[in-house]
Amino acid sequence: MAGATSLHVRSISHKTAPTAVRERAHLTEERAVELMDALSAGSASEPACVSVIPVSTCNRTEIYLEVKDGADADAILREALAAIGADCEVFFSEHALRLDGLEAIAHLYRLASGMESMMLGEPQITAQLKDAYRLARAHHEPGPGLLRAFQGAFRAGKRVRTETRISTGAVSVAFAAVELSRKFFDRLGKHRALLVGAGETGALAARHFLQHDIGHLTVVNRSFERAEALAATLRDEQSRQLVEADLDIEGESADSARALRGPDSRIIARPWDELGAAIANADVVLSTTGATEPVILPAMVQAAVKDRHGLPLFMLDIAVPRDIHPDVAKIGNVFVFGLEDLDEIVQGNLAARRGQIPHAERLIGEELAEFGQWLEDIDMRPTVAEFRAYLEELKDKQVGFVRKKQSDELADEVDKNLQLFIKKVLGRSMSSLRNSESREERARHLETLRALFSAEERDAD
Amino acid sequence: MTALVTVLTILLPILYLAVWADYLWLFYTEHPVARRTCSRAAAAVVILHMGVMVIRGVALQRLPMGTQAEFMSALALALLGTYLVVERRLRAKNTGFLTTGAAGLMMLSSAIFEPGAAQVNPLLSDPGFAGHAVLVLLSYTALSLSFLYAILYLVLARQLMRRRFGLLFRRLPALETLERMSVVSVEMGVPLLFLALALGHLWMYDLADRPGLDPRLAKALTPWDAKILFSWVIFLGYTAGLAGHRFLGWRGRRMNIMAVAAFVTIVVGMGAVHHFFPTFHKFPTMDASAVASPRADAPAYAANHLLTGER
Repeated sequence: MAGATSLHVRSISHKTAPTAVRERAHLTEERAVELMDALSAGSASEPACVSVIPVSTCNRTEIYLEVKDGADADAILREALAAIGADCEVFFSEHALRLDGLEAIAHLYRLASGMESMMLGEPQITAQLKDAYRLARAHHEPGPGLLRAFQGAFRAGKRVRTETRISTGAVSVAFAAVELSRKFFDRLGKHRALLVGAGETGALAARHFLQHDIGHLTVVNRSFERAEALAATLRDEQSRQLVEADLDIEGESADSARALRGPDSRIIARPWDELGAAIANADVVLSTTGATEPVILPAMVQAAVKDRHGLPLFMLDIAVPRDIHPDVAKIGNVFVFGLEDLDEIVQGNLAARRGQIPHAERLIGEELAEFGQWLEDIDMRPTVAEFRAYLEELKDKQVGFVRKKQSDELADEVDKNLQLFIKKVLGRSMSSLRNSESREERARHLETLRALFSAEERDAD
Repeated sequence: MTALVTVLTILLPILYLAVWADYLWLFYTEHPVARRTCSRAAAAVVILHMGVMVIRGVALQRLPMGTQAEFMSALALALLGTYLVVERRLRAKNTGFLTTGAAGLMMLSSAIFEPGAAQVNPLLSDPGFAGHAVLVLLSYTALSLSFLYAILYLVLARQLMRRRFGLLFRRLPALETLERMSVVSVEMGVPLLFLALALGHLWMYDLADRPGLDPRLAKALTPWDAKILFSWVIFLGYTAGLAGHRFLGWRGRRMNIMAVAAFVTIVVGMGAVHHFFPTFHKFPTMDASAVASPRADAPAYAANHLLTGER
């Protein structure tokens, strides 16, 4: 790699290692800070490591390193990991992915785009990368290479997500349930959901519907206490989220604001014997009880749809064995779906996402090419910056002279023209340096430029 | 100016097809560029087309709906314009390929038809009749859109019932949205139809009072005309449907089947009226000499000629 530094990544992920190994590699936020401190302390005495950004999520732990050219990245990392008492061997085992130079950057770009995620195109990884980047910047400013690489990765991720459909369509069963319901009711906020059963699965599905602003949620369970408890939990969660979202506050302030706002009245519990009435009031029915026999029977639904004037009733049976009697699906305007339907939707969406990979790869390639160009120019930048400073200095002197002797308008005009002149000279110089026949020739040209226009030379003058 | 209008007239079918291609691109790929550009492109084409219509109207001194080519062109404009209003209100773009496709085909057929400049309906120069014709065109276009969305609703409901999670499932808007698109179309079509009928009645009485009108024609100009009566039935039917939707909560499959049935009734009923019942709404075309030689009693003359076939 050209330039004074080189970039590396050492990665343990779901693609390369089983869960037990990933657990050994995991770095908590405190550990990540310790690692950055250790590498920073090392760079004071042995200035080999420029910077490090650790990224640790439930599916992966990756360490991005920028080291001086020629330095042994593995040795530096091994030493730092040992210093903080982390399991350093795992990053050098057969479970680790070790990439250097542009390959490391390509990996980062793919990661930010969700291409390396377990669920192709999942968006969470971008936020996790941004957190890692912010943490690193808060403790030790990363080197120019890592800084540029992460910024480029965020840009690549954004482009991939906005210019392709790699992140569209539900890829989890719970989201697929919401997606399917939205094929019936676009504005969920104007509709009512009924959750039959108060177990974990039901609660998860209910949370997804609440996240998508369902207008009203009723929980019905054989044990009314459990229904009431789940409704209370969901109310509490929702009101906390609403307050935090409205006021952008967390912790104790949010608690006091929540107390003022009151509980989320959208969520209520009803006793089991009101199940029929609850179905009649609902547009979306989610059933997740552990009953061994169907609990939602045709007669119950028939009575419920009588007064709906043809409005469809969406019923989702995610219980095993089923909660909804098979004959319910035969009732007009009643649409009953099960787990296998949700799975089919998920598989269809995943296939559609996979179809977007070539487009995403193309976009990543474009962004990588830009990074490659930046990297190519990295050795020129200090010298060109000095040359620019020299030209700017000359310009300022000249403009000052004109300002003394002539009018301000004329001085401004001279300033504008000289700025254009500098831009052209620098552009031409960069272009000539880029087109040098060999790296050696470019180094010679840079040396000449430095000799002629460096600050030291100017001071000597 | 004439040259510009000619160029635009040739260009318009191509622009309509380009808009169609954009909406098709959106439907098949949901590409963000297509999503950003399709409505704007359609709106630009509508504005351009309206400009051409206005210039043509001013140049010809009549509503440019006199020939088959002009009529198809006006129909395409009405369809695209009405669709855009519905799309804007519901923010659902994925059905656009159907309406823009139909409008594109109309524009193509308009380009293929003979210009027929020699044979036009001189009543189109009469503002009352022209307004009535435009309102009728717009109202029935809106009702046809309602029919289209009702069909789409039934298709998607069937796909869901059969658990087919293919392209239509992924791309079509929610059943609720399709129903609202159908209802919004009716909400546009019904007042327009009322205005069209009201203006038609006013124009008819105004025409009956004009000097020189053939007494047989004056007798034929009656509100009890079969076509007018059928139009009022259509108006009342759709108004009842809207009231049922709003006040009685008519929704879903039944409501959409009613919308389909209503439009089929319009098509079949109008065909039957034209074939089996006498109506003064039959306008034969006339030769250019009738139009080219203005007379003091031109409207009555034109009406006499058109409605009785005599000069």
